[in-house]
Amino acid sequence: MFGRIATIANNTVREAVRNKVLYALVFFAVLLIGVGVLLSTLSYVEQERIIQDVGLSAIRLFSALISIFLGVGLIHKEVDRRTIYTIVTKSVARWEFLIGKYLGLVATVWMQVIVMSVAFLAVSYLTGAPIHAQHFYALLLTAGEVAMLVAIATFFSAFTTPMLASFFTGGFYVVGHLTRDLKQLGSQSDVESVKTAANVLYRLLPDLESFNLTVEALHGLPVTPAEVWFPLLYGLAYISVVLLLGSVVFHFKDFR
Amino acid sequence: MTTEGREVVRVEGLVKEFRPGLGLRAKRVLDGITFSVQENEIFGLVGPNGAGKTTMLKTLMGLIRPTAGTASILGHDIQESGFRKHVGFLPEVSYFYDYLTGVEFLDFYAKLSGVPRADRPERIATLLGWVGLSHAGDARLRTYSKGMLQRAGIAQALIHDPQIVFLDEPMSGLDPLGRKEIRDLILRLRSDGKTVFMNTHILSDVEMVCDRVAIIVEGKIRYEGQIEHFISSDQQRADVVLANVSAELASTLEERFRAELRDHGQQVEARVPEKIVSDLLRACLEAGAQVLSVTPVRVSLESIFLETVEETTHAREQEGL
Repeated sequence: MFGRIATIANNTVREAVRNKVLYALVFFAVLLIGVGVLLSTLSYVEQERIIQDVGLSAIRLFSALISIFLGVGLIHKEVDRRTIYTIVTKSVARWEFLIGKYLGLVATVWMQVIVMSVAFLAVSYLTGAPIHAQHFYALLLTAGEVAMLVAIATFFSAFTTPMLASFFTGGFYVVGHLTRDLKQLGSQSDVESVKTAANVLYRLLPDLESFNLTVEALHGLPVTPAEVWFPLLYGLAYISVVLLLGSVVFHFKDFR
Repeated sequence: MTTEGREVVRVEGLVKEFRPGLGLRAKRVLDGITFSVQENEIFGLVGPNGAGKTTMLKTLMGLIRPTAGTASILGHDIQESGFRKHVGFLPEVSYFYDYLTGVEFLDFYAKLSGVPRADRPERIATLLGWVGLSHAGDARLRTYSKGMLQRAGIAQALIHDPQIVFLDEPMSGLDPLGRKEIRDLILRLRSDGKTVFMNTHILSDVEMVCDRVAIIVEGKIRYEGQIEHFISSDQQRADVVLANVSAELASTLEERFRAELRDHGQQVEARVPEKIVSDLLRACLEAGAQVLSVTPVRVSLESIFLETVEETTHAREQEGL
């Protein structure tokens, strides 16, 4: 089982590595991190903070874009191109295929996050901007957030077209950063049904804002261990449920 | 060759309906299909385009879930997956990971199929040789021709040495030489003790390799039987291609052997009953003619196939009236 999942994951990474479009995306992300240096020259104060703000934002934005861009076609492309036919007709369970594809894409996106992070740290070092533990926590949680996004994209890719999956995953990404406001809305409402609905939605939708430690990193604010491991555990649980649901849907799918 | 062995494929009352959209009436693509395949035989599922051949094969392969009925392969229900390590499959149109080289491609499937690491290089080299791709093992699949891709697809279906192989239109996209190589490969599989199930609409391929056939038209099996039953000895013909045919010999062929002659300039093609081919060849050689080729022409399967399709179409039209 693990061997088959690893084989599919490895092949997914290999496909991504041989896809030139990805290099272009990473190149633009690294370029944007470098552009932060130029932008900082427009200001007389807090130049290092501007460099790092642009850098961290670029990493989060581009890794999210890459996750959605690759994730929404992850399964659909295999079905559409019929490459899946010769795989799931071997002794490969459909859920093994889905998990393998997911892990392969997460590994791919993480490699890109590492490349962008190295560029970010290099620019910070060269411009004399401070580097402390909070930066590493922020980058670690960015990796966690993209793992969540890839899982959501994989889930939608298992049963719908890349176009619809892009809308849904993009929607989850945007809403995922607003769920805390949703919770706040519920708690402040006097109407019980609104309270309940807001609470249910808060539980169902991903809380992606908990993966955002950009402010803490930029200002060197203290970060408790729970602020790091709780989102990671939460992400692991959320990913497990999403992939389980995706596997069930995928199990009953007809490949016509 | 026909071998009566145990049943390795059993299909009973299989029905598959597709619903084109919400609220729309379901379309029945497979309508109570029943047939069986014996061990170590080459079984051909023949039918016109849209008859349900590929849907049937996809259902057996677990790619499509049947609406009703049962099917088993090697004694296992098709909904299971464990037995698939003994099954090979070539889909109708072979789309593969074109960024892989031929060797990487087969290695990928070997890993998925649980072929031991130590055995993989030899197995891959052997299969590349079988399908005539030894020279292209290090080239990426995107550089392969359609025929080469088809052969690579057959290699992946055999990589784990399966007991039974399902091939969907295995000769499609191949040139005459490629088709012959694949036919030889299929015959070799049978001599190695394997069972082969193939979908095709090319009747000459069926006649040359299959032991038994089933004709499927509009989702129903209309005929199932051994290939010999289609071909009564009286109906068998052969095309004999000759050179250096004198006018005297030509008239002898027509009068004595009742041959249908076609003049191709330097060559003459004579269609005669197969049972008198030996006598005809002797007469030709004695008359100084050169025998270039002898090809059996089995028209009866085609006749039955066309009749079956026409009957079905006619019956449907009558129902429509």
